[in-house]
Amino acid sequence: MSRSFKGKPILPGNLEGEALVTHVGFNTYASFYTSIHAQVEAAQCADSGNQELHGKNLTDKIICLPQTIGSTSAGAVWQRVAQMGVAPKAMLFSQQIDSLAAAGLVVADVWVGKRIYAVDQLGDEFLESVKDGDRIVIREDGTVTIR
Amino acid sequence: MADLQNLRIKLTEQERDILHGKQGPTMQKVMKTVALYGEALAAERLVDIGGAGHFAIPWCTPGIAPPLEMLDELVAAGLKTKHPFTLDPRAPLDFENLSLRPEQEQTLEQMYRDQARYDERMLQLGLRDRDAYTCSPCLPEVGNVPKRGTVLAWSESSCVIFANSVLGARSNRNGAIMDLLSNIVGKTPLAGLLTDEGRGATWLVEVRTAELPHPQLLGAAIGTKVVEDVPLIVGLDRFLDCRLSEETLDYLREMGAACATYGAVGLYHVENITPEAVDWGTDLLVPDHTTYVIDDQELQALRASYPVMWADGEARPERCFIGCPHLSLRQLHWWTNRIHNSLQARSQSRLAVETIICAAPRVLQKFSADAKAHERLKGAGVRLSGTCVETLFEHVLGPEDAILTNSDKLRAYSTARFFPDEELIEILVSGVIRGES
Repeated sequence: MSRSFKGKPILPGNLEGEALVTHVGFNTYASFYTSIHAQVEAAQCADSGNQELHGKNLTDKIICLPQTIGSTSAGAVWQRVAQMGVAPKAMLFSQQIDSLAAAGLVVADVWVGKRIYAVDQLGDEFLESVKDGDRIVIREDGTVTIR
Repeated sequence: MADLQNLRIKLTEQERDILHGKQGPTMQKVMKTVALYGEALAAERLVDIGGAGHFAIPWCTPGIAPPLEMLDELVAAGLKTKHPFTLDPRAPLDFENLSLRPEQEQTLEQMYRDQARYDERMLQLGLRDRDAYTCSPCLPEVGNVPKRGTVLAWSESSCVIFANSVLGARSNRNGAIMDLLSNIVGKTPLAGLLTDEGRGATWLVEVRTAELPHPQLLGAAIGTKVVEDVPLIVGLDRFLDCRLSEETLDYLREMGAACATYGAVGLYHVENITPEAVDWGTDLLVPDHTTYVIDDQELQALRASYPVMWADGEARPERCFIGCPHLSLRQLHWWTNRIHNSLQARSQSRLAVETIICAAPRVLQKFSADAKAHERLKGAGVRLSGTCVETLFEHVLGPEDAILTNSDKLRAYSTARFFPDEELIEILVSGVIRGES
């Protein structure tokens, strides 16, 4: 049975993809640290502090998270992973998007021309419902459906 | 969002003109980036930046800084920041002070091969001068000291928290690149820590230790607990000079750096000490705030939880890094005196562990002018550097290197072992870690 949630579209669009879920803050710099310093075809999460994501492939996934945390370098990290073609497809925030994620995702969108779709304020229930591997459908108006 | 026709953020006529390209296509992109950022943060409008910037983008490393092509585009368009800015510490290329192996130096040279071109671009874009590199820009020798209430768009987390909390300026934790772009257009979103509402305290932190706690250990405890929220800290005024003496400022700078490292704290208030807490006291607390009590046991447990990350946990310490964040002039003299006295007490002339102390170039210049102190420190074998040693761990140092530090911040980002100052001095002089000799 599918469930739908309504959030606020930050970088809107229509797409489908596979969910990858973290219930703790997504540390952008720590997660992409090894990927941005090497020529890789896919980004494996390098954040050993995140037991849910460590070692998993982030590229082309739809990351479901509360917020991002960590270094302010995150702004540049998003641009870099977008440029390298190893970014996630989308970021779905249960809370309000934090300033570091907002900065980085917008910079990637405007300066690289690569949209990493983003919806925020999807609520705690969304994060409790979604599981790794779930099929996710995102609509331009911020509606997110877990199939 | 991302649709410029349907923006909810209110833009002025001048801002809309820029957005429509009246100041050229590159400035149009800059404004678009800042406006969309404001929209994402649900800002009502943009506000003018009132003071110099401080950015976390000093190195040319891809993924850490804006790419050179982007800087070239900004420079070619004749753009620069509205106010001169300072940057985080220089890249670790002062090899004479870092005691690295040749292959490590080669790795860094390769990594930073575009650094000179990058530095020139930064000067063209508004970097204040060639010495304006430090993570302690608010020290008097460096002079990037915003006044209370000044709106800023800073990025380096340990500087944002100091400017907000201790100086009463107003900046959000802006991401790298957004810092530069915001300061070029001279605008930043009115949201978060720029608003009175965003500066209210959602945590009451009661410090109930018997003595003044180690600042970075206390900061780590607070950051871990409150994450991105704003704490009002009570109980520190028993130990600190409420008039914001140099010692108190150093303490708060170190504590804040750790708060920002272990959490995402951009602002704290300290009862009877920081400006907004002096004015409003416990009125800063929101009605449904949470309370967190920190006692000696809590801090001991936190320190005990730190794993030894050295490959050989019983290795003899080979190097020590002090100055993360960069030390003040007062702290440099404190270390000089303490090292000198400890060596004299043991009839030793040099430290047993190679030690590197980091501070801002302007602070190091002033310290070096005191020939007696400078010679004392050099004579003890200490090297001085203006770089950021944390970057060494990103590229050339790791668990195989038995490195010590007095910085809980550096510990979090590296494999270095943390010891409070007095314990560390004993190790530096003796060359052994007590209980492990």
